[in-house]
Amino acid sequence: MEIISPEGLRIDGRRPEEIRRFNCRLGVLSRADGSAYLEQGNTKALASINGPHQAGDKAKIKHDRVHINFQYSMATFSTNERRNRPKGDKRSIDISQLMREIFQSAILTDLYPKSQIDIHVQILQADGGNYSACINAATLALMDAGVPMKDFICSCTASLVDSKTIIDVNNSEELHFSNPLLTLAILPTSEEIILCQMKSRLHADHLEDILKAGIKGCKDIYEIMHREVLNHVREAAAVMNAT
Amino acid sequence: MAAEVGNPVIPGQRLGSIDQFSAGLGTYVRQRHIYASLVGYKDIISQAGQLPKIQIKTGNVSCNLPTIGKVVTAKVLNVNPRFCRVLIICIGTTPLKEPFKGTIRKEDIRATEKDKVDMYNCFKPGDAVLAEVISLGDPRSYYLSTAKNELGVIFAKSTAGHPMVPISWTEMQCPHTEKIELRKVAGIKYWTDS
Repeated sequence: MEIISPEGLRIDGRRPEEIRRFNCRLGVLSRADGSAYLEQGNTKALASINGPHQAGDKAKIKHDRVHINFQYSMATFSTNERRNRPKGDKRSIDISQLMREIFQSAILTDLYPKSQIDIHVQILQADGGNYSACINAATLALMDAGVPMKDFICSCTASLVDSKTIIDVNNSEELHFSNPLLTLAILPTSEEIILCQMKSRLHADHLEDILKAGIKGCKDIYEIMHREVLNHVREAAAVMNAT
Repeated sequence: MAAEVGNPVIPGQRLGSIDQFSAGLGTYVRQRHIYASLVGYKDIISQAGQLPKIQIKTGNVSCNLPTIGKVVTAKVLNVNPRFCRVLIICIGTTPLKEPFKGTIRKEDIRATEKDKVDMYNCFKPGDAVLAEVISLGDPRSYYLSTAKNELGVIFAKSTAGHPMVPISWTEMQCPHTEKIELRKVAGIKYWTDS
């Protein structure tokens, strides 16, 4: 199966440097302090924030900054084959650890010493770019919760097929193991890269192209997230003024 | 929240230079510029003799934590001869979504004659207490103090179950049974508007 057809289109009809349909909503859960639902193509993620609150685990309390408790899970029905363990497997734990470090670099952690922020992200449907969806959903939920952050964190994946870069890779494209897969997360205003993860091998000559494409993808996603957050604030303000 | 003017701001948005403004709530400084760290509306407060302060106004108050010097309302959970455990339910005038645990040690109850304090003559479980946060304490709880005239028990029920009336600095009386119980009473007449 060819990933890019002779006409220059991908399996799902996108152009190589085009992101998937991106839909998001803030404040979807009423019991959480902040929440967000996000769809990146067929990948769907739900994030919720609790806190800052008094830390539960005494061993993890830090006297000068907040402890971030990140839990990544994939619903049992999220993949083609039913998953037996939605969370707690080695990969989920690894991802949670990675995500914690990512968010520590963007949240102003020193404002809330001795407390804890819980971030729970569940992938409801996995169709490639799960880490990206997870990061984007968590960012939106943090905005909704009013947790102070340096900047948004926007994430996107990129790959290289026959010397052509493609972005926002979906599951069927991800399954070609010979293709490299780059997961990138940036702070869009300063263009600081805070996550750069590569699966499979890539020739160094192509690194610059693929990075450039990935950053462009992140910025495209930022535009949409940015607009959605502003809409959400305006709506909230309108409701407040009306009452 | 009053009627909002202008556009909302988002984290990472540059608000101005530190030569023109000072950074307030919801902002941070990087490379001599002030950036927003919250989603909300920009609010500029002019201060006499100082640079105007930029802060971000949000409709969200979930990020409220007890800090040193704040007066909190707490409910007494249990009392023992050395300290009592309380649940902080309100900071200033804002109720908390989720309570924090606190401790009032015996030596922090009164400002004078600290060594003569008897815990059981000061608080009983179920009392509502006004106290000040004096330290972030140990990992488990915040340390609170009632060693000021305006701090102490503000609401207590008698053993008969009726709300009691304060009759002196140390006593409260049940209006039904007229039984007098001992408490560290908050001096309401010392309350100020702050």
